[in-house]
Amino acid sequence: MAPKSPELYNLKTTAIYFAAASILLLLGLVGMVLQDSIRDWKGYQREFIDYSREKTQKEIETARAKIDQNKLKQLHTEFETAQIQIKAHQQEIKQLEKEVTRLELECKKTRTAYQDLKQVQDSDRYFFEDDREHHKQHEAAQYEARLKLQEPKLTDLKLKVEQAEASRDETQAQLDKFLAAQKNADAEMAKLTLDVTRFEKKFESLKPNFFKSLLDAPMLDFLKPSLRIQQVVLENLEDDFYFVRAKKVDRCITCHLGIDQKGLEGAPVPFKSHPRLDLFVSADSPHPVETFGCTVCHGGSGHSANFVTTAHTPHDEKQKKEWEKKYAWKEMEHAPEKMISLKHAEASCAKCHNGVVDVPQAPKLNEGRRLAETFGCFNCHKVAGVERWKVGPSLLNVQSKLEQDWIVRWLKNPKEFRPSTKMPRVFHLSNTSDEASVEKSAVAIAGIATYLIKNSGSVSLLSPPVKGDPEKGKKQMEALGCLGCHTANGKAANNHGPELSNLGSKVTPDWLYTWLKDPKHYSPSTRMPSLRLSNEEASNITRYLLTQRDQNFESSRLPHIKAENVDDLALTFLSGEMRRADARKQLDQMNQEQRLEYIGKKSISHQGCFSCHAIKGFETTKPIGTELTEEGSKDVRKLDFGFVHLEHDRASWFFQKLKEPRIFDEGKDKTYHDKLRMPQFDMTDEQAQSLTTFLLSLQKAHIPQEMHKNLNLKEAQVEEGRLLVRKLNCQGCHTVDGVEGRIRSITEDLGKAPPVINGEGKKVQPQWLFQFLHEPAAIRPWLNVRMPTFDFSDTELTTLVDYFQNLDHVPPSYNTSHAKPPAEMMAAGHELFQKFQCIKCHKAEPQPGLSASFLAPNLLMAKSRLRPEWVVEWLKDPQILQEGTMMPTFFAEKQSPLPDVLGGDYVKQSEALRDYLWEFTPEEARIIEQPAPSKAAAKTVT
Amino acid sequence: MKNTLKWLACLSLNLMLSLPLFAGTVTGKVNFTGTAPEPEAISMDADPVCAGAHEEPQMTEEVVVNPDNTLKNVFVYVKTGLEGQTFPAPTTPVVMDQKGCHYNPHVFGVQVGQPVQIVNSDSTLHNVHGMPTKSKEFNLGMPIQGMKLNKKFDAPEIGAKFKCDVHPWMNAYAGVTDHPFYSVTGDSGTYEIKDLPPGKYTLEAWQEKYGAKTQEITVTDAAQTADFTFAG
Repeated sequence: MAPKSPELYNLKTTAIYFAAASILLLLGLVGMVLQDSIRDWKGYQREFIDYSREKTQKEIETARAKIDQNKLKQLHTEFETAQIQIKAHQQEIKQLEKEVTRLELECKKTRTAYQDLKQVQDSDRYFFEDDREHHKQHEAAQYEARLKLQEPKLTDLKLKVEQAEASRDETQAQLDKFLAAQKNADAEMAKLTLDVTRFEKKFESLKPNFFKSLLDAPMLDFLKPSLRIQQVVLENLEDDFYFVRAKKVDRCITCHLGIDQKGLEGAPVPFKSHPRLDLFVSADSPHPVETFGCTVCHGGSGHSANFVTTAHTPHDEKQKKEWEKKYAWKEMEHAPEKMISLKHAEASCAKCHNGVVDVPQAPKLNEGRRLAETFGCFNCHKVAGVERWKVGPSLLNVQSKLEQDWIVRWLKNPKEFRPSTKMPRVFHLSNTSDEASVEKSAVAIAGIATYLIKNSGSVSLLSPPVKGDPEKGKKQMEALGCLGCHTANGKAANNHGPELSNLGSKVTPDWLYTWLKDPKHYSPSTRMPSLRLSNEEASNITRYLLTQRDQNFESSRLPHIKAENVDDLALTFLSGEMRRADARKQLDQMNQEQRLEYIGKKSISHQGCFSCHAIKGFETTKPIGTELTEEGSKDVRKLDFGFVHLEHDRASWFFQKLKEPRIFDEGKDKTYHDKLRMPQFDMTDEQAQSLTTFLLSLQKAHIPQEMHKNLNLKEAQVEEGRLLVRKLNCQGCHTVDGVEGRIRSITEDLGKAPPVINGEGKKVQPQWLFQFLHEPAAIRPWLNVRMPTFDFSDTELTTLVDYFQNLDHVPPSYNTSHAKPPAEMMAAGHELFQKFQCIKCHKAEPQPGLSASFLAPNLLMAKSRLRPEWVVEWLKDPQILQEGTMMPTFFAEKQSPLPDVLGGDYVKQSEALRDYLWEFTPEEARIIEQPAPSKAAAKTVT
Repeated sequence: MKNTLKWLACLSLNLMLSLPLFAGTVTGKVNFTGTAPEPEAISMDADPVCAGAHEEPQMTEEVVVNPDNTLKNVFVYVKTGLEGQTFPAPTTPVVMDQKGCHYNPHVFGVQVGQPVQIVNSDSTLHNVHGMPTKSKEFNLGMPIQGMKLNKKFDAPEIGAKFKCDVHPWMNAYAGVTDHPFYSVTGDSGTYEIKDLPPGKYTLEAWQEKYGAKTQEITVTDAAQTADFTFAG
C-alpha cells in the first residue's frame, strides 16, 4: 500500500469553504447594491409620479367635461360627410394628386434649369468685368456677347418657372377644394380636444413600463434612470465645508418635486408648490431657484437627499413627534447649518436685504427690528450698521424733575407705577429674589437714586401763569394731537411716547409746564417736539395731567437699608478696584452718603443704566451687553443653557432669554455680582417670537455683493428718510408711505384728523417743504391738531425733503414761478374761479362757527406751496390723487359744466384755473369774497 | 278616463307654472313709540343763499315723527327671499334734488345699475359726496344752478350716505337693492311694496338713527300687511 501522499489541504473541505465564502460574498454584494439603490428620495419620486398620474387623470376628465359635446358631434358628422365626399370623388382626386406630383417635378426641373443658367451668367459676368479691368479687350468682348445671348434665355426660363408654379398651385387648389372640408373639421376637432390631448400625452409619459423599470434597476441605473437626483448648482453662492468652499448645490427639489409648479397648492407634502411662487422659486419671480436655490433662505444641508441628514427642523413639539414617528427624525446636532424653522424663515431675508428700515414682505422680521429699537436693545447690545439713540429720557437734569424717593419706588418695579412702560425691571427678578439679594438690591437702588440726584444739573423752571382748567386741558390735549404719540385717557393709538398717566404722583406743575412749553429746555436731546402751546394751553394741560395720581404708589413703603449691607456692597465694589486692605481703609474714609453715592455709580455701571439714559459721568462708557452683530450664526455650544431643559437650538434659547432673561441662572451657585443682568421686559410671546426672528437674521453670511439687494442713491435716501420718520413717529399722525396715520383709528371726525401726506413730494415745492418743516405754520386753520416744531437740523430737513420727493419719484425742482399766462387763459381762469365758487370753501380768512369740513386751504398760499403741474392733476380729479377727499371734482366724466369756456376742454380749464391761482392776490380774494347781494338774501331782509 | 287624467295633469302643471303671475302687495305702517330727539334748528348763516331760501327755521331730518306717531323716511325692502332671481335695472332715473340746501328726497331707494339723477336747483355751490361702502366713492362739484349729473351704484347696500361738504347739515341716504321691491315711508308713515311674487320673505325696515328691524312674511295673492315699530 503506497503511503498516503502528504496533502497540504483537504480539497473537499477547501471547496466547502470556498463555496461558503463566495456565497457570503455574493450576499454581501447583493446587500451593498440594494443598500445603494434603495433610497428615500426614490420612493418620493415614485409617489410623485403616481400622484401626478392621478392628478392628470382628473385633469383629463375635467377637460373632457368641458368639451362641447354637441359641437364635437357636429364636427364628427362634418368629418364623415367630407370623407364620403372624398370617396365619391376618389378617381378625380387620384388624378389630381398625380397631376400635382407631375407639376411639382416640372417646377423643380425648370427651376433647376433657370438656376444653372443663372450661375453660368454670374460666372461670365465676373470674367467679363475682370477682363475689362485688365484691358483684355478681346476676351471681354467675347464674354459680353455671351451675356447678351444669355439674357433672353434667362427671361424665358424665369417665365417658365412661374408658369409651372402657377399651374401647380392651380391644381393643388383644385385638390384642396375636395379635401378642405375634411381638413377643416379635423383641425377644429383637434382645437376642441387640445387640452385633453395634452393631458393624455402627459398621462402616457407618466405610465410605468418595463423599460423604465429596467433602467431604474440596481446596477443598470447608471445608464439613463428615470428616477434620479435633481439639483441646482448655484454659480454665485458657496457652501462652507470648514476648510473648503464649494459652489452651493441644493438637492431639495429631488423630493420637493412640485415646488415650482402652480396648481399643486393642495398637494401633500413634499409635493406642494411653494406658497409664494410670486416671490420665490419660479423663474419669473425675483428669487428664481436657479439663482438662489433653497438653502440660502431655509438653511439645512442642501447636498443631502435624506430627510434626516438634510437637517429639517420641526416648527413645534407636535410636528417633532410626528416626524420622529414617520421619518425616524432626529436632530442633527453637529450639522453646521440646520434648517431654519418656518416660523423664523424671514430671518434669512436680511442676508441680502441690508440697509433698509423694513424688508418688503417680511412683517415678522420688521416687527422684530422695530421692537428692538423700541425696547432699546441696541443701546446695550452693539449691532454693526444699526443707528442707535438713547431710548430712555436723559437724566442729566433729573433733580429738576423728580424726587429721590420717587426714583427709588420706580426702580423697585417700574411696571407697578405704569404697566405700559418700556423701562424693563432690573431688580428683584427670579435670580435675585432671595432675601439676601433683595436686601442688596435695595441698597443698590438707594445708591442709584442718590447718585442720580447728586450728579444732576438743574434747569430754571417757569410757573404756570394761570391756574388752568383741567376740563379744557383734557380736551385740548386730545384735540392738539398729543395722542399721536402718547396713550392717555384710555385712548391708545400709539406707544411711541410714555403713557400720560398718574403724572400727579411724579412731577411738579412747574416742571410739567416748562416741559410742555419747550421740551428741549430740560432735555436738548429729547425726541419730544414743541407744540408751540400758548401759556393758557400749557397751563390747562399741566393742570389736567397732574390731577391723576396713584396714592398707593406715593404711600408705598421705602425699603429699609441695613448699614451692614451698604458696607458689604461698597466693599465688594471697592475690592474690584484695589486690594482688600486698601478697600477697607477707603471705606472707612467715606460717610454713609458717600458710600451710597459710590454704590450708585458702580451699580449704574454694573446694570448698564447709562446705555439707555444719559447720565453724568458715563459719557464715554461702553455698553454692557454682548455684541449681537453675528448672534444669529453664533455656535449653539457657546450659548449657556444652564440647567434649563430646552431644545438645543438658537431660536429656543433666544426666545427663552427674551421671555425670562434670568432663567439660565436657575440651579447655579453664583454671587450677587455674577448673576445674569439682562432686565425683564415682560414681552408677549408674539413679541419674543418676532425678536427671535430678528436675532436669527443677524448672521455672518458669505453672500457675494452682486447677490445683495443693492440700493441706488434714491432708494438709500428714501431709507434714510424712513428711519427718521420712524424715529420721530411721523406716522403717529400722518398717513404716508403705505402706513395709515395711527391717530386716525381713534379720531371720530376724520375731517379733523392730521392730513394724509401720501404724494406730498409730487404735491409741494421742495423749498416750501424745507421751510415748513423748519418752521411749521398753519395751512389748515380749521384743524385743531397742530404740526409740532421738531427743531430739525439742516441735514435732517434735507433728508426729509429728499425722502418725500424720492418716494414719489419726482426730480428735484427749483421751479417756483410759473410763466405769465396769456390773457385768454387768465380771463377763463377768473371766470371759472368765480363760477365754480372756489372761494366758498377756500376762504382767505377762516370764519368761526362753521364745521371743520367746510374749509379748505387758503389759495393765496398755492403759488408758493404747490407744484404747478400737481395743481392741474388735482383739479382734473381730486379723488384719484386722494381718495375720500372733500374736494369735489368739477369735471364729472371729464365733462365741464361750462361748455362755453375754452371750448369746454376740462384739461384746459384746469390749466386756466391754475394759471389764475398763480396770479391770485389778496385784493382779488377780497373782491371775490364780498358777498354779492343775492336775490334770496334780499328776500330775508324784507 | 285616460284622457281626462292627462287633461287634469296638464291643467295642474299650467296652474303651477302660472302661479307666480299672481302677485301680492305688502303694505304697512312704521310706528314710533317713546320720545324722539328734539329736532335741532340748522344754522344756514354760513351761506346766504341757503339762509335766504327759507323763511321758517329749518330742522334736522335725522328722526322725523309724523303727527300720528308714525315715522317718516324709513326704507322698507325685501331683504331675503329673492335670491337667484334677477330684475333688470330700470332706465328711468331716480331724481335727487338739492333745493334750499336740502336733499330731496332725504331717503330714497334705487336699484343697482339704475341711474340716480342729481340736480342742483340752488344758485350756490353744492358738492355731492357719495360715500357708499360697496360701490365706488364719488365727490362731484355742482356749481351751476340747474346742473344735472347721473350716477349709478354697482352693488346692493342699505343706507349709502350722501353728504355735502360745503353745507355740512345736508345729508341723504340711498337704499340700493338688486330688485324693485322697496318703499320709503312718507308723511303718513305707510309703505307699499307691489307685485311681489308669492313666497316667503324677510322684510326689513331701516332708519338712519335707529338701524334695522326685520320681519318674516309669507306672500300669497292676497294683500299682506306688516307693521314695524321703532322706539325712541
